[in-house]
Amino acid sequence: GRGWRGRGLREGHAGGGVARGPSPGSQGQPPPPVQPHYPPAPAGPSWVCRAVLGEGHQRTVRKVAWSPCGTYLASASFDATTCIWKKQPDGFECVTTLEGHENEVKSVAWAPSGNLLATCSRDKSVWVWEVDEEEEYECVSVLNSHTQDVKHVVWHPNQELLASASYDDTVKLYHEEEDDWVCCATLEGHESTVWSVAFDGSGERLASCSDDKTVRIWRRYKPGNEEGVACSGTDPTWKCVCNLSGFHTRTIYDVAWCHLTGALATACGDDAIRVFEESSPAAPQQPTFSLAAHVARAHSQDVNCVAWNPKEPGLLASCSDDGEIAFWKYQRPEVC
Amino acid sequence: MASPFSGVLQLTDLDDFIGPSQECIKPVKVEKNHPGKAAAKIRIEADGSYFQINQDGGAQKLEKAKITLNDCLACSGCITSAESVLITQQSHEELYKMLAFNKTAAPNEQKLVVVSVSPQSRASLAARCKMNVLETAKKLTTFLKSLGVHYVFDTTFSRNFSLLESQREFVKRFRKQSEDKKALPMLASACPGWICYAEKTHGSFIIPYISTAKSPQQVMGSLVKGHFAEQQHLTPDQIYHVTVMPCYDKKLEASRPDFFNQEYQTRDVDCVITTGEVLRLLEQEGISLSDVDPAPLDTMFSSITEEELTSHSGGGSGGYLEHIYKYAAKELFGIQVDTIQYKPLKNKDFQEVTLEKDGVVLLQFALAYGFRNIQNLVQKLKRGKSPYHYVEVMACPSGCLNGGGQIKIEGESSKDLLQQVEKLYESLKTEIPEKNQTVNELYEHWLGGMDSEKAAKALHTEYHAVEKTSTGFNIKW
Repeated sequence: GRGWRGRGLREGHAGGGVARGPSPGSQGQPPPPVQPHYPPAPAGPSWVCRAVLGEGHQRTVRKVAWSPCGTYLASASFDATTCIWKKQPDGFECVTTLEGHENEVKSVAWAPSGNLLATCSRDKSVWVWEVDEEEEYECVSVLNSHTQDVKHVVWHPNQELLASASYDDTVKLYHEEEDDWVCCATLEGHESTVWSVAFDGSGERLASCSDDKTVRIWRRYKPGNEEGVACSGTDPTWKCVCNLSGFHTRTIYDVAWCHLTGALATACGDDAIRVFEESSPAAPQQPTFSLAAHVARAHSQDVNCVAWNPKEPGLLASCSDDGEIAFWKYQRPEVC
Repeated sequence: MASPFSGVLQLTDLDDFIGPSQECIKPVKVEKNHPGKAAAKIRIEADGSYFQINQDGGAQKLEKAKITLNDCLACSGCITSAESVLITQQSHEELYKMLAFNKTAAPNEQKLVVVSVSPQSRASLAARCKMNVLETAKKLTTFLKSLGVHYVFDTTFSRNFSLLESQREFVKRFRKQSEDKKALPMLASACPGWICYAEKTHGSFIIPYISTAKSPQQVMGSLVKGHFAEQQHLTPDQIYHVTVMPCYDKKLEASRPDFFNQEYQTRDVDCVITTGEVLRLLEQEGISLSDVDPAPLDTMFSSITEEELTSHSGGGSGGYLEHIYKYAAKELFGIQVDTIQYKPLKNKDFQEVTLEKDGVVLLQFALAYGFRNIQNLVQKLKRGKSPYHYVEVMACPSGCLNGGGQIKIEGESSKDLLQQVEKLYESLKTEIPEKNQTVNELYEHWLGGMDSEKAAKALHTEYHAVEKTSTGFNIKW
């Protein structure tokens, strides 16, 4: 619909013999054999593959994450390890491999400070790692709060607060208490697997997306809040303030909340990408989001991942089971 | 419900699936009396029993396939997924059954029931019942004997052997570290949560580093079923040996094939019950421990000097680091150490102790409790970056006093409760293993000397890497 212009479709994974194995974010299905073909290059700047890191993992690479400083790349794999790659002038070098998870690592995320890393796995645990000046990584905590496969971990934009999403239908939050990490909140409400979570730019709100085809918005209420929301002890309470249902026809695999514009993008199993905008004036207790854009056939298969460019407003990347990575330019419609 | 096994054991091979994991390598073999050539027909009766229909029409009742605790230990599979399978085999219910059996059995069929109580369980009970340790021990003796138990011992006594064997083993290893790359660091062996995890996850890499000294539970097993049985003119299978432990992992330890006496078809420890299960026993009998009359303690295999219970220094997990450190300092460097300075590192469950002389580090020891610290230790070891000579490894954060089988009190913070239990545990006078007369006598008269073959067999054990077999089930699609 309005406000969309497909820009630069990149086909680097399904075709050719490069980087065997599903593209980042896919569900692990073996890629169908495809004859390489190169679509006509679109006008404007295009994306070029700079490196292929083929020597680190033995199985599907499920998630990658850049460190805040941009020097390191972490890759989470079904081979139960997480590799840390360092950017060198002539490519990338694997500086260490984090072992310990019992089986498939599903997600990895760097804390804003750059000193902490979180991983999560089908083994139901979330691990927090610390890296020191000598690039030595040590496990700081092993959190066993979830009762099922943990799909995703993400850090708060400016605090050392960690969120995780799980097959057990909950979102959990963790922080450091004394010399260990503890689960300080459990967000219940989704009726099925929670696939992903995203904090808004302020960190006061969190969006979660699920197999139950809804996106829920949660808001943090600190102890002594003026709205009168009860808190236990010194821990804030998170309450669900909005439930976006009826928009998606299949599982929602990813949600991304733009820290520049506040737009919310979703990646869905119905091959579509949707963007939601908050209606203004914003009523904090009961925000309303409306569907601002919907690309029905963004990909020819499940969309697994969406990510907003942190510097360029409206630039969105998506990837899919169809083996393609797509870049989108989104403009907020006038009437929303 | 959260698993009762230690965090370290829980993390080995978790699965989304309920029940025996797809990785269970026990495709249960059932002995068939008449190996058939052709495919057999199976008929299921209304009561759920299975019959194999032979070619000649005859029906043969099929044995129900069972997975026992022993099978599970041999497997890299579901050990923590199928908890119900494991726990039923060893519980206070089993003890009840044995005691009930004894009441009605013929004299020559009756078993001598011996219960060995760990000092950690005793401290936990003392905290719960609001008594001091000596009172708790005496009243527990009365209670157990009222149920039909014949002797109540204290594993503090058998711990003397574990400590002595560990310290001597360490010095031996230290002296041959130039020839044997895997002599050091020596890693503690008393914690079965750590052992099972090590065997399954790191196998042949880590096993050479682990001390071969048996845990106090298993030394007591050898003592009770060996020396004590002989003294009582009984065979090992005529004794039913129960231990009271602060965790569930000890149940797995007792079930190890290495601790099964083939000749008499009996385990060195027949049944392990947790501190919590003892409380359940008390509740089922409607008894409050504080109301019970105290009984004299069985001193034979207990740590008592002049009516005073004794313990060992070095914390609630046995004191391995402290004893080995002091012994090694003396034996290897002629240095007498009286107090040990601990340096906490990243967290309170990871602490270092260093022996330095003239700026040279002579010994570097560490305590590593809890999964994250064990992880870091093993990873450092794998990268060749571990600076330690000895590490006291325990699966539970805060050690054995905080085991999964200890009593929890509703309304009390676990931190406060742990502090109370620690205080009670440390309220006893400590003794030095070398000075224990009974221990020295046993080395002479039971084992024929400290370096004898009998001593090696009775006080040491082996570890086995668990191989993950490739079956159709464990290919991860």
